[in-house]
Amino acid sequence: MPGRLHLLALLIFTIAAPALSQKAPTADDKSTDRSEIVRKNLAPVSKDVLKVKLPRATEAALSNGMTVLIIEDHRLPLVSMQLNISASGPIFEPAGTPGLASLTAAMLREGTKTRTSAQIAEETAQLGATVGASSSFGSSSTVISASGLSDNLDKWLALANDILLNPTFPADEMNRLKARMKVGLTQQRSSPGFLLGERFSRAVYGDHPAATISATPASIDAMTPEMLRKWHDDKYTPQNAILGIAGDVKAADLVPKLEKWFAGWKKTDLKEVLPPNPKALPARKVYLVDRPGSVQTSLMMGNISIDRRDPEYLPFTVMTHVLGGGAAARLFVNLREEKGYTYGAYSSFTSLKYPGPWRAYADVRTEVTDGAMAEFVKEIERMGSQRIPETEVEEAKRSLVASFALGLEDTSTALNYAIISKIYGYPPDYWDNYPTRIMAIASEDLQRLAKKYLSVDSMQIVAVGDAAKIKSVMEKYGPVEVYKADGTRVGNN
Amino acid sequence: MKKQKLLIAVSIALALAPMAGAQSVNFKEYKLKNGLRVILAEDHSAPTYSIAVTYNAGSRDERKGRTGFAHLFEHMMFQGSENVGKGEHLIIVENNGGNVNGNTTSERTQYFETLPANQIDLGLFIEADRMRSLAITQANLDNQRATVQEERRERVDNQPYGRTFEEIYNLAFDNFANQHSTIGSMEDLSAASVKDVSDFFRTYYAPNNAVLTIVGDFNSAEMLRKIEKYFVDIPPQTPPPAPNVDEPKQTAEKRKTIEDPLVQLPRLDIVFKIPPGNTPDSYALDYLSDVLTRGQSSRLYLKMVKEKELVTGVSCGLDGLRRGPGLFWCSLNLRPGKDPAEVEKALYEELDKLKSDPITDAEVEKEKMAVRRAQAEQLQSTLGRATTVGEFAVFYNDPALINTYGTKLLATTKAQMQQAAKTYLIPTNRTVVLTVPKRAQEDK
Repeated sequence: MPGRLHLLALLIFTIAAPALSQKAPTADDKSTDRSEIVRKNLAPVSKDVLKVKLPRATEAALSNGMTVLIIEDHRLPLVSMQLNISASGPIFEPAGTPGLASLTAAMLREGTKTRTSAQIAEETAQLGATVGASSSFGSSSTVISASGLSDNLDKWLALANDILLNPTFPADEMNRLKARMKVGLTQQRSSPGFLLGERFSRAVYGDHPAATISATPASIDAMTPEMLRKWHDDKYTPQNAILGIAGDVKAADLVPKLEKWFAGWKKTDLKEVLPPNPKALPARKVYLVDRPGSVQTSLMMGNISIDRRDPEYLPFTVMTHVLGGGAAARLFVNLREEKGYTYGAYSSFTSLKYPGPWRAYADVRTEVTDGAMAEFVKEIERMGSQRIPETEVEEAKRSLVASFALGLEDTSTALNYAIISKIYGYPPDYWDNYPTRIMAIASEDLQRLAKKYLSVDSMQIVAVGDAAKIKSVMEKYGPVEVYKADGTRVGNN
Repeated sequence: MKKQKLLIAVSIALALAPMAGAQSVNFKEYKLKNGLRVILAEDHSAPTYSIAVTYNAGSRDERKGRTGFAHLFEHMMFQGSENVGKGEHLIIVENNGGNVNGNTTSERTQYFETLPANQIDLGLFIEADRMRSLAITQANLDNQRATVQEERRERVDNQPYGRTFEEIYNLAFDNFANQHSTIGSMEDLSAASVKDVSDFFRTYYAPNNAVLTIVGDFNSAEMLRKIEKYFVDIPPQTPPPAPNVDEPKQTAEKRKTIEDPLVQLPRLDIVFKIPPGNTPDSYALDYLSDVLTRGQSSRLYLKMVKEKELVTGVSCGLDGLRRGPGLFWCSLNLRPGKDPAEVEKALYEELDKLKSDPITDAEVEKEKMAVRRAQAEQLQSTLGRATTVGEFAVFYNDPALINTYGTKLLATTKAQMQQAAKTYLIPTNRTVVLTVPKRAQEDK
């Protein structure tokens, strides 16, 4: 049907999208006339924040140790499910085998004891269902997800169950998949976004396995069906699994069925043991990935911060929102709306079972790389050095809390929240109390956190762009390590 | 990220369309004295609502020397009006928990917000204020021109295959209205003047050239009273003439190879000129594109990705819905070392099968299930419904098409599909663009 062509994304041009950057005006830069945002505050706004209650999941434990979370929602004849298997993600891969977890997940669909790859694809389409599995770099988990109509739920859930429990990792399909993945490894190196993410992860995570965000052609070549089978047998365990199901189902009917379907999946002794945490780096370093002919510089800077269970998680969320959470935030207003350097500048942070980085980022045109860097440094520094005005804090908090209502349109949002609660061991009323806890955060909390974490002297800076034009600019921030698009380091610069 | 999500929402909404008897979008239609068309669909299943204003103005309305203007103008709509400050739209909506965006295609320009249900007045107020009193100044124009040029760099000039789209439209179409890109050229963007902006606003952004759609948790009678209050005093204008988007019949294959320094591997884009959307032939071709490339049991995936291992990915589809001629577009990412001629040949063999044999019953079954699911899923997002209904009203004067698109698609017979393939998916009606790396990558 029309519009499905994914290429269409390029044919639609839109007012706002994520990016990064900054700079001081120069003679050749006519577009940097300051152009201030104006707040008239005349639009009629309800002062109240709509109070919404997320549906609470029904929880059950299967006899094999699996945790089941079910949210009943009978508005539409649809169901979605997500199986999160801890202790099976890429951060547990043995050294030198990047891609083992993701290849294992991808191969689940490529053949089971009773179904060929083609049969799985055909049956899924005949049912109008979607079934897939993935294990993303940096993650501690593998996720199997499926969705479809409620009136043939038993059929597509059985299919999902089959690929989870009975994969055969056939060699011919695996060779085909490996060849396709290797082409993907080549293709992704033409994307500035990939190059930026790769170098940034290497920079901030250091020796931690999350430093790796991609397989290599050599690691893919070395994979055998036996390696995948062993990974599947050892790491896919029910005691580490959380199964979330949301939609047009009856929990009371479903749980006994699940008990039966998953009976063949036996408990083991495997427990999740995380690698040692990554630590914030003490000194600033600058990395440059050379992309000759690039008309923009993609910039990203940041450093390791906190994990998801940290008591500072909520204040950190608000702080990041103030700096770069959207169109109302400082980076966007400064770098895009006022300076016109970029299509968008943002900040965010990654926070999982282990600490991940905060980051600020934008794509800026090559000529304003210098000015963009200066504004980034200014905005990041200002977060800790100056008191954040109450009104700004209030607006950020209100934005986070009020947007909760939008999550009710789609049950899978509530399901995600329930799964997150379970994974991180939050109390059952965590999301009910979330708005109150956000609203209690004060300006001092944010400034204290910013001082502690948002240091421009220790942040890691990555630029992807035309080295001939921007290397001298980046050198203002320290010695620059230069890399080629293939990931290798250039000379001894 | 936010943008990506919205784009997906829009595509999925188009991809869905309920059949009779299934759940459908129940809406009411009104027209204000000033010609503003209003479509309201109550849905109380979540405490939210979405508002979309669809203006009948797109890049197809642009003249030579002013390409990119409709989209540049879209950015101007966020630069403030009598009671809303420059840049305040995005801020005020986000600060109240909502999502906001706008986008432009060749056919139309849309502005939309999703908000919690207790902020009904906010969405109406900001949309009415900018329809009535946009602030058009040289400073705003200069600033937004810079942003749009940055958008072009980020999304076109700096992306692998970014320029390929422009080459295809330019080559495949003969009429300037269809040929030029929505983002426009850097030169034309630089040439746009304040007078251009004012003229465009007066002509195209009148209430009688727009459709207001609202979907979600509200009371229609009360909503209508509020709409009257905010919009009714905006004066109508003489409607702009519809652009001529006719295309001459193509009589010979067109072909071009372009070099792109940012790509690593070749890509083939093969397009065929097809009739306007919402016509029997358009439904037939839409259906066929699903048979060819929807999912891993589709014909081209099985043949070209898995069996022959010629490409890593292939997708075919219509280039969106249009009122004039459009394109049936296949895009193929080549495996390293594969001969583009061999890839083309394999594609054409599959297209020829669509002409010689009817599609199978199993393929019909899959399409039915996909439509059933899509029509249920389209009821999840208020935004998807608001934007889709707005487009169908503007394009075909048929907002109910959101409920009948799937029915019309499934009503296509196997014979109609065969005939459409024979008529349109033929050598003399195609344009082939091959994008290749500019130089051998030393670092391979």
